[in-house]
Amino acid sequence: MKSVVSDFEYFVPKTVEEALKLLSQYEEEECKVIAGGQSLIILMKQRLLTPKYLIDIKGLSDLDYIKLDEKEGLKIGALTTHRAIEKSPVIQKGFSVLSEMEQNVSSVETRNWGTIGGNVAHGDPSGDPAPVLIALNAKLKMTSLSGERTLDAEDFTLDYFETALRHDELLTEIQVPTLPPNTGVKFTKFSQIVGDYAIASVGVLITLDKNKETCSDARIALGAVDIAPMRAKKAEDVLKGEKISNDLLAEAGQVASEEASPTTDVEASEEYKRDLVKVLVRRVGSEALARAKKA
Amino acid sequence: MSEYSIIGKPTTNVDGVAKVTGEAVYTFDMTLPNMLYGKLLRSPHPHARIVSIDTSEAEKLPGVKAVITGKDTPGGKYGLWRRFRELADQEILATTKVRFIGDPVAAVAAISEDIAEKAVDLINVEYELLPAVFEPLEAIKDDAPLVHDDFENNINATRHIEWGNVDEAFKKADYVREDRFNLLTQHPAPMEVHSSIASYDKGSGRLTVWSSTQSPYFLQLGLADALKMREGNIRVIKPHVGGGFGGKNSTMPDSVNAAVLSMKTGRPVKIVFNREEEFSTTEHRTPMHLSIKIGLKKDGTLLAKEVKIITDGGAYTGLGATTLYLAGTWITFPYKTPNYRYDGFRTYTNKMWASSVRGFGAVSALYASETQIDRAAHDLGIDPIEIRRKNAMTPGYEAPGQYKVESCGLLPCIDKIEQRVKEKWARLDKDEGIGFAAFAYMSGGIFNWIDTPYAFSGAMVKVNIDGTVDLFTQASDIGQGTNTVSVMICAEELGIGIDDIRLHPADTATTLADLGAWGSRETLMNGNAIKAAADEVRDKLLDVARMKLGENIVYDLDAKDKRIYLALRPERGFSYYDIVKDAIKENDGEPLVGIGHYTPHRKGMVSPAYAMGIMGVRAKVDRETGQVEVKDVIVAHDCGQIINPLGARGQVEGSIQMGLGFGLCEDLPSENGMILNPSFVDYKLIRTREMPQIELFDVPTYDPEGPYGAKESAEATTAPTAPALANAIYNAVGVEFDSNVLRLEKVLKAIREKEEKGKGKGRR
Amino acid sequence: MKKELKFVANGEPYDIWVEPNTLLVQVLRDELGFKGTKWCCDSGSCCACAVILDGKVVKSCSIFALQANGKEVLTIEGLANGTELHPIQQAFIDNWAFQCGFCTSGQIMAAKALLDENPKPTREEIQLAMDGHLCRCTGYNMINEAIRDAAKRLQAQKSQEGAK
Repeated sequence: MKSVVSDFEYFVPKTVEEALKLLSQYEEEECKVIAGGQSLIILMKQRLLTPKYLIDIKGLSDLDYIKLDEKEGLKIGALTTHRAIEKSPVIQKGFSVLSEMEQNVSSVETRNWGTIGGNVAHGDPSGDPAPVLIALNAKLKMTSLSGERTLDAEDFTLDYFETALRHDELLTEIQVPTLPPNTGVKFTKFSQIVGDYAIASVGVLITLDKNKETCSDARIALGAVDIAPMRAKKAEDVLKGEKISNDLLAEAGQVASEEASPTTDVEASEEYKRDLVKVLVRRVGSEALARAKKA
Repeated sequence: MSEYSIIGKPTTNVDGVAKVTGEAVYTFDMTLPNMLYGKLLRSPHPHARIVSIDTSEAEKLPGVKAVITGKDTPGGKYGLWRRFRELADQEILATTKVRFIGDPVAAVAAISEDIAEKAVDLINVEYELLPAVFEPLEAIKDDAPLVHDDFENNINATRHIEWGNVDEAFKKADYVREDRFNLLTQHPAPMEVHSSIASYDKGSGRLTVWSSTQSPYFLQLGLADALKMREGNIRVIKPHVGGGFGGKNSTMPDSVNAAVLSMKTGRPVKIVFNREEEFSTTEHRTPMHLSIKIGLKKDGTLLAKEVKIITDGGAYTGLGATTLYLAGTWITFPYKTPNYRYDGFRTYTNKMWASSVRGFGAVSALYASETQIDRAAHDLGIDPIEIRRKNAMTPGYEAPGQYKVESCGLLPCIDKIEQRVKEKWARLDKDEGIGFAAFAYMSGGIFNWIDTPYAFSGAMVKVNIDGTVDLFTQASDIGQGTNTVSVMICAEELGIGIDDIRLHPADTATTLADLGAWGSRETLMNGNAIKAAADEVRDKLLDVARMKLGENIVYDLDAKDKRIYLALRPERGFSYYDIVKDAIKENDGEPLVGIGHYTPHRKGMVSPAYAMGIMGVRAKVDRETGQVEVKDVIVAHDCGQIINPLGARGQVEGSIQMGLGFGLCEDLPSENGMILNPSFVDYKLIRTREMPQIELFDVPTYDPEGPYGAKESAEATTAPTAPALANAIYNAVGVEFDSNVLRLEKVLKAIREKEEKGKGKGRR
Repeated sequence: MKKELKFVANGEPYDIWVEPNTLLVQVLRDELGFKGTKWCCDSGSCCACAVILDGKVVKSCSIFALQANGKEVLTIEGLANGTELHPIQQAFIDNWAFQCGFCTSGQIMAAKALLDENPKPTREEIQLAMDGHLCRCTGYNMINEAIRDAAKRLQAQKSQEGAK
């Protein structure tokens, strides 16, 4: 079987600051951060990544938390495991779309060790958390020795496995704002085998006006159908300010499918993926709408 | 049959404790003192001449103990089709040219796997690229590059089967249709990768090999041919095996190269494939182009069938030549076919060779025939169950010159399915459909392409003074439960308990030849051998008991529940343990042993007995995504007498998982000979959430050839799953397919095309 | 350069030195001799290597051994109590929930983790918990039945102990 053949120096910093100091000491190409390692180790076994220095931050318990503030919303430490998010009563109650998404991320085994921060920082265009965070209008906090900055989730992933995270930064927190009243959010990923990597995934957030008639806000996030998880803004515009019907959702789906740029691979063709986006946006939007009406 | 103590009763696995505690040892787990680790250098090209190989850098790497290329090997050619020397076409390491991406050209033995891997990277091979061919229809053309120089038009094997007069019969038919299919490959994907350890003893010149194999005997023969050694000087031992499914019949590069490296270094050498090697360089299901023409009377009676198959054999023979024959045979099952003609060709191509996978031709063949018969039924306005019933084989049916079906419970199986489906699936949701497929399969084959002079199965029973029994059988338990069946049969025959018997399995030095686990042969063939061996001992015991009773010779004795007694007066008898003591002590201490063997004789060209049955699948189709959800499966099967119902059920369910994979999602696409998805990330297996509930009905019959009337179980059920699913999809949304692996996009495309054609029966 | 790894495996403390690139599955199998945990797929896809780490079931092929420093690991070898099988193991035997047995250790460890957390799982909950595990032999349903059976046995065992 394939083991990790390359050698590396291994560090276990005890604090975030120590980790950041180490990061700034080494060149970007030579140095990698490992949290749960669920993606990283596979790449290292394949010899696609052979860092000379590995900084293990898995033990930084300061970054493992789920906090809910009534006004500011949900704050999730970057080293919170998928499983903790899946099982968190706070999240199940107030941001159930997150725990629903986590339930289908790979397997329990992966979720028990892999972290949401590690997943998002990996920059996989077909990862599940990213589109949900985009739909939720989340912000990602990054920390370096020179301070902190936050970025909108939709601006975080730039390209295949490339994020806005600078080499000397750690992703430290995910901030999900309190959902406005009359808001419903739903996420679905689609694949031949249930729970597998998404061929396409869609997250939709719909906020209705106080009469629960028209849509005051819509956010449509797509995963696995572009170089990075993306927002289908033109599709959102189809819904905003309108009374949402099934036909309107279908139209939004059509527009979203044109905004995406999927590629043909072993799994499916570009055309199929576009068709899938069309269908999923309609279906997921419909469920988000139902949730908004109930909210 | 309630007359048995053990046969037919659910019995837990005799290897159970070992397997649930992690104590079961697989070749993958084994280490030996002083052991080295081997790695293979494989060709990156599908077809190339080897110009030169420079191993000097690799040899210099510290920790490397040997580096070999083709010229360092004994150079014997080998393969399962030993009877026809030209088909035993494998080499230990490629000498003149490489024929597929992954063909081994060199091997390294080192003190660790990591060092062996590093050394492999240091070997420099100069290749002269040759034009390659990847598709059988291209390979047979006159201008195609030759994969093997002696095989014109790249034709590796041909097969012709014929009975009756097909041309006349088609003239008389009311309805004739011809359909073409493209059946794709499938990888066995066992959980344990190919693993072997070879240990050569310089002093005696004898070789011992432990391997994850389906047949220690086949491996012994393959090694003997490759190494040009006497087979008796090779001992093959099969530890626990983590699955085979057809991919571990052939002698593969792990075992032969480990052997040569061991001979060179004087140390044991272990070679284990990684998963990428497992997917891209081990045997998989034979892909084929298939055309099938049937002629029916308007009442649905089958008059004639004509089939042509061209298979994509890949670079070597393996068992692919048998698949060619069997596909053309299974495609006539399970219906009475008065007139039949088959022509099959197997071609070489520059890809990893395709061989036999669970179902052995039946999975591919029945996908074609069982979807086609449904289409014919629809055209003729006949119920799909009815058309199968009308043509079903019955006991004693004979295909002239080919095979005879003795026991056959197909009709009662069809009745059972029909009744159960009416009860259970009366109401269907929108876009849900039900599909059926009937099936049959062999209980071992009569074939002897391996060219053995031995009986096909042999067994020895040794009874010790305290009544414990040592049972020796070379039969291969690769997960299917053969060890448990072996012990059950021995226990039943001697009238003792499972716990009294210690099994010594699968060691070519200490057990009698058995052809191994393929074609569902172990229960019938090995079972018969064990039964015969136990009977020899049982006869001796009964004789002793009879003498003691001093009874009239016409009164029969039984051995059951650890007693030996008068059948008519059960209270008159003795404890088994006492009789054993007497049998030994009163016979000058003569060892109390029995030896049995079995070879099918006068059983036609295929098999001594056939399992039969029919499967129903209920599925729901998502018209917008092409997603197919398999909701429910019902199977009725006739396996004669099921020996272990627990094991049989487990096997059937596992076979359905594989059948569903063949139908929905398992495929090995390749581009210019390079397999694109050699990992479980991209090679999709059905997981627990996709698996439907399965209801299984046993329709017992009795086959005179099988031990207690037993026939095979659960390789058969691999075949009907995909066609029944395809038929369900047709009944749900009206689309047909001419190939398997009904992926999302394929199904959606078919639905869209149909919607565009408009309503009505859009039939070809 | 080797680093110290101090951890508890199957109730026993270990203090060994390993290269940082060593995977947990390698330490368990090759250093500690716990060959029951298997290695199968190279892509983190099959969970045959599943063990329980600080009470959570994880893939030992996808964790560096040093990340287990200071932690507790339970492998299949740690489940039985001497010769007395754990109820999950017995349930697997009685329900024919394995055939070749290669994926079995991982399945049993995941089942244990599931039942420790959720003593009365529904069929759907079992399927969700076991979804990472590939099996080529069984078709999964009999494994799930064994887990339900195990749940019942564990509940019965608990009531018996409670009654004492």
